[in-house]
Amino acid sequence: MSLELARRLVEILLALALIQQSVEHLRGFRDERILFSARIVLAILVLAGVAGPWPLVGLAGLSLLILHRFQGPYNGGSDRMGLLILWSLTLSSLAPTPMLAELAFGYLGAQLTLSYFISGWVKVVNPDWRSGRALRDVFQFSAYPVAESLRGFAHRPRLLRAMSWAVMGFELVFPLTLLWPPALAAGLVVAGTFHLANACLFGLNRFFWTWLSAYPAILWLQGRVF
Amino acid sequence: MPTDLRALVAPLKLLAPALVPSWNFFDVIAPAPRVEYALLASPGDASGTWRVFRPRPERVSLARMARRLLWNPRWNQSLFVMSCAERLAEDRTPEHSEAELFKRIAADLAAEPADPARPWLCFRLVFVHREGETLTEEVMVQPAPRRLAEIDIR
Repeated sequence: MSLELARRLVEILLALALIQQSVEHLRGFRDERILFSARIVLAILVLAGVAGPWPLVGLAGLSLLILHRFQGPYNGGSDRMGLLILWSLTLSSLAPTPMLAELAFGYLGAQLTLSYFISGWVKVVNPDWRSGRALRDVFQFSAYPVAESLRGFAHRPRLLRAMSWAVMGFELVFPLTLLWPPALAAGLVVAGTFHLANACLFGLNRFFWTWLSAYPAILWLQGRVF
Repeated sequence: MPTDLRALVAPLKLLAPALVPSWNFFDVIAPAPRVEYALLASPGDASGTWRVFRPRPERVSLARMARRLLWNPRWNQSLFVMSCAERLAEDRTPEHSEAELFKRIAADLAAEPADPARPWLCFRLVFVHREGETLTEEVMVQPAPRRLAEIDIR
């Protein structure tokens, strides 16, 4: 996959993800409606491939205003990943040399890999995660389960221990999938399914669309490096 | 640092953790905030009934979960409310977080019939955590009440 094609795919997927998020804000307060209406317009320009790279530059500038409005990300990790994608794309598009353009875009692919590996590492060094206790806590009292009935999973410790090890194992071995394109494709399918499950159980729909939009970057990085 | 320069640097400081992320999702399961609110007759009134802000439903169907992939504004706003609660408890951006919490509770209350006998709004943050096998609740923050009619919900 060429750099141009990978960048264009990320642009399209990110624009769609940003439009989806922004439309949700249109039922918010007045200042939110103004900020996110502007973001929809810019994202549509990115989607249409018009006047590049300036709509991306506009989105990057607007992201600072949105960060200021909420004094940080609105939805934690998913918004931070969205910012990483947006700024990597923008810097890659503005880079004065092809090498710098590749570096900026490759940084996104590398961070995507780290997003899985480090998440797995910080869990596996915690005895509560290894025993399944941490995942029980998530279901038992955290703010994330979307329904009270889901808290019943907390009474299934063996299942949660198996789920914990499945998640940690997948996250830790994810970097190895870069060694073989079919393994990477399979890894991304598993990762996408993981985000889909999180969206259904914990209402984290933004993670699903945002992480998905970065996948072309890792596919390109795999072909470029290995 | 001069005020103008500080205002310029502030958004970049908020951007930095996104550009150099830590990726330590769920490394530890921290105490979980729950926002409760009460309507009071006066700022010193202690007779208000505490209600949970946006209690989660008993069940959510698979079809609804699928719809929420594309349209999930209320839940995402609730997640932001939780972020504000955590920031407030940790004394990060306290004024902003407190104002956001008042504003979002007041906006929900605007959809209900007003109670003229109880014009003051108060909230508290109850943090749930586990000690051994027991779940423990602790009220960590309870800001001064605000007059409901004076909270800008536009």
